[in-house]
Amino acid sequence: MTKTNASAPIISVNKVRRVFRSTQKGEGMKETLGLLLKPKTTEHVALKEVSFTIEPGSFVGLIGANGAGKTTLLKILSGLIPPSSGEATVLGYKPFDRTMPFRHAISLVMGQKAQLWWDLPATDAFDLLKAIYEIPEAKYRERLNTLAELLDVKRLLQTQIRRLSLGERMKMELIGALLHWPKVVFLDEPTIGLDVLAAEKLRDFLKVFNQKEKATIILTSHNMDDIERLCSRVMILKTGEMIFDGSPSKLLREGECRLRVRLKETLTSDAVADIAGVKKEDVTVGESDAGGEEDEGGEGAIPTFYVETNKDAVIRVLQAIMAKATILDMGIEEQSLESVISRIYSEGGVSGGAGLHA
Amino acid sequence: MRDATLSGPGDSLPGSKSSLLPRLEWRIAALKNGFQDATAYRLEFFLEVFGAAFVPAAIQWVLWYALFVMGHQETIGGLTYHQMLAYTFTSILFTQIRGGDHDFELVEMIRSGGLSNYLLRPTGVVEFVWIRGLAPKLFISAVCLGIGVAVSFFYPELSAARMVAAMGLALLGNIIAYQIGATIATLAFYWEEAYSMLMVKNMIVQILCGELLPLSLFPASMTWMWKSTPFYLYVYGPTQYALGRWTTGEFMDAVGIACLWMLGLWGLVHLSWKLSIKRYLSLGG
Repeated sequence: MTKTNASAPIISVNKVRRVFRSTQKGEGMKETLGLLLKPKTTEHVALKEVSFTIEPGSFVGLIGANGAGKTTLLKILSGLIPPSSGEATVLGYKPFDRTMPFRHAISLVMGQKAQLWWDLPATDAFDLLKAIYEIPEAKYRERLNTLAELLDVKRLLQTQIRRLSLGERMKMELIGALLHWPKVVFLDEPTIGLDVLAAEKLRDFLKVFNQKEKATIILTSHNMDDIERLCSRVMILKTGEMIFDGSPSKLLREGECRLRVRLKETLTSDAVADIAGVKKEDVTVGESDAGGEEDEGGEGAIPTFYVETNKDAVIRVLQAIMAKATILDMGIEEQSLESVISRIYSEGGVSGGAGLHA
Repeated sequence: MRDATLSGPGDSLPGSKSSLLPRLEWRIAALKNGFQDATAYRLEFFLEVFGAAFVPAAIQWVLWYALFVMGHQETIGGLTYHQMLAYTFTSILFTQIRGGDHDFELVEMIRSGGLSNYLLRPTGVVEFVWIRGLAPKLFISAVCLGIGVAVSFFYPELSAARMVAAMGLALLGNIIAYQIGATIATLAFYWEEAYSMLMVKNMIVQILCGELLPLSLFPASMTWMWKSTPFYLYVYGPTQYALGRWTTGEFMDAVGIACLWMLGLWGLVHLSWKLSIKRYLSLGG
């Protein structure tokens, strides 16, 4: 039995901080000898007093650049490492206590770390997991069939793990992690290195598992497709701090869009901002599929300007530009989650109303 | 998701059960899995076993031949040439069971972060790794026992009943060897590496377990060296008993001493892992 009731948060994190200490070595022989005699250690704060709660059945995306603290947070929540300070509870348990009921109720899949035995076929590993998690035979067969069918790997169950492709191996890892039907699943970059089709299959499967089984899933990924398609809530970490926590739709400013124009005249982005009547920071010169073409006179590439605007104002902006310049090509683009996250990262947080915890 | 949905996620949490059978079930499954893993490459497995057995035996044979036959010695340390050869070939049977490299496996897991795969499973990680590593050793011990019993029909100095009992002592030695290795492995939590410590331990064990030389060759003033460690219980003790050079009383004393070592080391393993696991960094993810 878990220690939570249905309405309570399944995960609760309160001011969790984690510091890592590591030995530093400079360049050269002198530093190497110095390391032998007196090692220099530095401290790195991976998480800075992070707090949040997660409701049962949620599908939460945890995103951030390398070193933002995503994996550290997952390791703390799954009980692999303790927090330096603060408190985390999962299903009512302190994860680092790693009690047996807790271990039976969670699962962690790390895309970069194989958990199954390399030289054995997946079925041998699954048989062992069946015994470890005390899964009754009939239930085990039923689950294995269901998972193998959904992930389309039934024909590969007898093949040595090391002979499988990366995508097939990842699917087997996922089956191994879900055979005991965990209540909480931590997925650390599960689609890393997968081709488009394999990633898509995995995403479909995770969606079904979350929706039908009401399992709580916390996913970290650098792949925005994973987040956009799966997560009802996004948490963004930047150098150990939570800079956004809310619905992905809240990340996109209401009605905001991006006007893409290429002009006959040679203008700077500041000049484009002036004639369009928008702020200078709302105009960027970017690379796009349409950009970089030679003009007819062959005098060089024609830049593409991106004007951040709003659906109501787009006609006015276009008229203003057309009054003073000749438009060769134009288009209106929806904001992608990826571009929004890049913007949030460069700005250091969510601005313009969404707030830190939307 | 078909009928599998009938059993919601984590609906039964067997970790809270305490019946003996399921707990025995995972241990049996781990043994089976360890054996499957060790024998995944048959040729590699057999070469490892026979290579490890016959190379040291051949070296010892050459050495004893040089000392006894070419050097015209009647006895060395009270043992004749034939007694020395009997020791060499009997000790090989027990050498195959002692130790293993699962303590090195633990160090590597701590260092690389591979331990994370085991920490979240509802089993004790130290015991799990030992059981998986024990599986091929059990197979080898059964083969060695068969060889020993078969030889005992032609070589009266070796008793079949004593061989069976001696194999039991050798298996206790295997547990002690792993307990010591698992304790030393925890140094990797502090130093990030404990390979050298395990290597030094293994070199000491090779000398003090009776694998290279019968420990009776030690001068009387130095017998304390091997008597104060449990290493002689791995090879020397079982060999002496199987060859009838130890009385049953001496053998029973050795079993009692082995049990005391196991008990003390069990506490040490628990304490060292409990304290040092807090320093685990789970790198590589």
